[in-house]
Amino acid sequence: MLTTLAPDTGRSGKPRPVPVRRGNHFRKQTATNYLLIAPALLLSIVIVVIPGILTLLFAFTNWSGIGFNFDFVGIQNFQDIFADPVFATSLTNNIKWLVLFLVIPVIVGLLTAALLLRRKKMRTFYQVIFLMPYVLAPVVNALVWQTIIYNPNGGVFGLFGLQPPTSSQSTSLYAAAAVDMWHYWGFLTVVYLGAMRQTPVDQVEAASLDGAGGWGVFRHVYLPSIRPTLLLMGVMTVIFSFLAFDYVYLLTQGGPAHSSEVMGTYAYAFAFSSFEFGKAAAVGLIMSFFGLLASVLYTWISRRDLTR
Amino acid sequence: MKRKRLAITAVSIAAAIALTVSGCSAGGASGGKQKLELWFWGAPPAQQQTMQDVLVDGFNASQDKYELVVNFDNAVDKNIQVALSANKGPDIVYGSGPAFASAYAAQGKLADMTPYAEKYGWKDRILDSMYESGTVDGKLYSLPNSIEDIGVFYNTKVLATLGVGVPTNYDEFVDDMNKAAAAGLYSSVTGNQGWKPVNQNYVSLFMSQVAGGKTMYDALQGTIPWTDPSLVKAVQDSSDFYNAGYLGGKDYSTLNFDQSMKLLSQDKSPFFIGPSLAFQFASNYFNDATGNTADLGYMPFPTINKDLPTPYYTLGTTASLSINASSPNKDGAAAVIDYMMTDSFAKEMNKTWPGYWAVPLKNFDLNADDYTGLSKPFVTAIKDTIAGVNSGNYGYFVGTFFPPATAAALTDIDSVWLGNETAEQFLANVQKAFDDEKAKGLVPPLPVPTN
Repeated sequence: MLTTLAPDTGRSGKPRPVPVRRGNHFRKQTATNYLLIAPALLLSIVIVVIPGILTLLFAFTNWSGIGFNFDFVGIQNFQDIFADPVFATSLTNNIKWLVLFLVIPVIVGLLTAALLLRRKKMRTFYQVIFLMPYVLAPVVNALVWQTIIYNPNGGVFGLFGLQPPTSSQSTSLYAAAAVDMWHYWGFLTVVYLGAMRQTPVDQVEAASLDGAGGWGVFRHVYLPSIRPTLLLMGVMTVIFSFLAFDYVYLLTQGGPAHSSEVMGTYAYAFAFSSFEFGKAAAVGLIMSFFGLLASVLYTWISRRDLTR
Repeated sequence: MKRKRLAITAVSIAAAIALTVSGCSAGGASGGKQKLELWFWGAPPAQQQTMQDVLVDGFNASQDKYELVVNFDNAVDKNIQVALSANKGPDIVYGSGPAFASAYAAQGKLADMTPYAEKYGWKDRILDSMYESGTVDGKLYSLPNSIEDIGVFYNTKVLATLGVGVPTNYDEFVDDMNKAAAAGLYSSVTGNQGWKPVNQNYVSLFMSQVAGGKTMYDALQGTIPWTDPSLVKAVQDSSDFYNAGYLGGKDYSTLNFDQSMKLLSQDKSPFFIGPSLAFQFASNYFNDATGNTADLGYMPFPTINKDLPTPYYTLGTTASLSINASSPNKDGAAAVIDYMMTDSFAKEMNKTWPGYWAVPLKNFDLNADDYTGLSKPFVTAIKDTIAGVNSGNYGYFVGTFFPPATAAALTDIDSVWLGNETAEQFLANVQKAFDDEKAKGLVPPLPVPTN
């Protein structure tokens, strides 16, 4: 059956139905629509909206995470968090994480995608290889790096007599970020390559005929063409960066001495070590705030592009 | 007609959902027996088998009313926390100690086990200090599955190579570590990779060994502040010890207990400083199959403060056992706990799983000569620890006896070791967390040390 999103007014050429019948039909159609979106809506309400509202509520309580006995403490949780130097370290680390992820995997991903664009025979093979760390579970990736690379006894660092970066306060964050970037850049490559392949061939050929070199074609044809993809992935990277947790937790647990703490691990410690869910919820709200900022920025830029 | 069909469909769906839900619900009967659940940490396969053979099969064969099932779970603490909060979870609640249990008891998530204690005579059977630690307002909410001490594992072969014997006091111990470092070995091996609370072992050790158990007890009662000079000295001494390289050297944050035991077995260090439960890791590398069982020894940590008795123990528990307040089979859960509080159970478990089952019995009637492999030194170590506990010569392990936020604050001891804050600043933070938890009544009852 052929379906289309275009309105069917006049398409069939049949006379318009009488108003009463149209009303019934409209109501039936609306009911069907609601029924179809009900599962997704229900899931969103149960999994996102209700926990979101509860998190907002608990951020202003001293809830321990056990049972439902709690008192409202106003903004005490936020005051405690802002007075805690570990929070400042966590926020700074999240910002460092963001900068790293907006630069290194993006550059590597773009370069690799540009190279793969010309390599038609082996392109699929390379994509599969590059995507492998992304499809592996974080715990597997972390274990591989911990035992083979960062291990002082038998690992690559141990072999060269170097101190593993996870053990130093000045390098522990970068050690965790390196593993996360290693797992992430292949995914970016595949996405960028997909976007580049959507670039109209005539534009590329026209630029080449006009004498543009490889860099010129990339800079003036491909880059503007994949701008929406770059923007979307950039926003997703901002959101992911403020939600960073798994690789830090698996590789350094936020240490040594909180040096690689990010807000995700900071909140986790409140929730599952200290039984201070109220504070964990407050940290969660702050994390969401940055994600929200990125989403608003993305929406604003997208709308501006549409109205240009 | 359409409506009828619709109604039949709706009823069928509802019936299917009801059947599914009832099938998934806990506490169901299995073959006429009531099902009992215990969630346990994700132990290695060989130890899971021991658990199955000794606990599950043993308990199930001992009676015909209940069917015990043990689920092994690497995230057991977190999952139990979530399940209990929702009034769900296993019948027997496995936790990280009395402090863990008291937090749940305060929220009504654990059942009062006092009637079962009277029925089974637990108070007469369990070490007084261990029994009391599981009570809240005079009611029993948890029992420890095992006691532990923080001591020193040593490799006799490496000590012989260094030309020294087993150290008999703290000065000799430090001398031996210096000799090991001079020989290009680790002074000692240990580390907190993958489990930051490992730090609690060493802050507990130094508070016990430098400030003493009575000072810790007074701080936990709130009669002296955590910034008391003796506690400040204990924290500072731990920092000096760490910075001298005596805790895994530069590799503290890249080693874990298992790797440390491996290094000890590979003659890379004469010592491993850690809890007695590390016997379970040791058995992977020191065993009769490799013929090096006799190379491993264990001793209490040499007393640092010369005013304290020798040996002096850092008393902890490996885990705690409680009954879920929402369990429909509390009697059955109590029967399982009672089964685990017997010397026959301890005897069987320790045959193949040394380190985790030092059941806190007043009469720990296990004879080291009946055991082979590492079970032999473990049984000896625990008998000595129990004698020390009965004499009151002990301090406290933070993870067992301290309320959760205070324990978490003490876990940050590496901030002092790495020079980010002073011992005074660190203990001032501990004081803040402790004041808040004391006001909430979260400090568990403590056995009083004599010295």
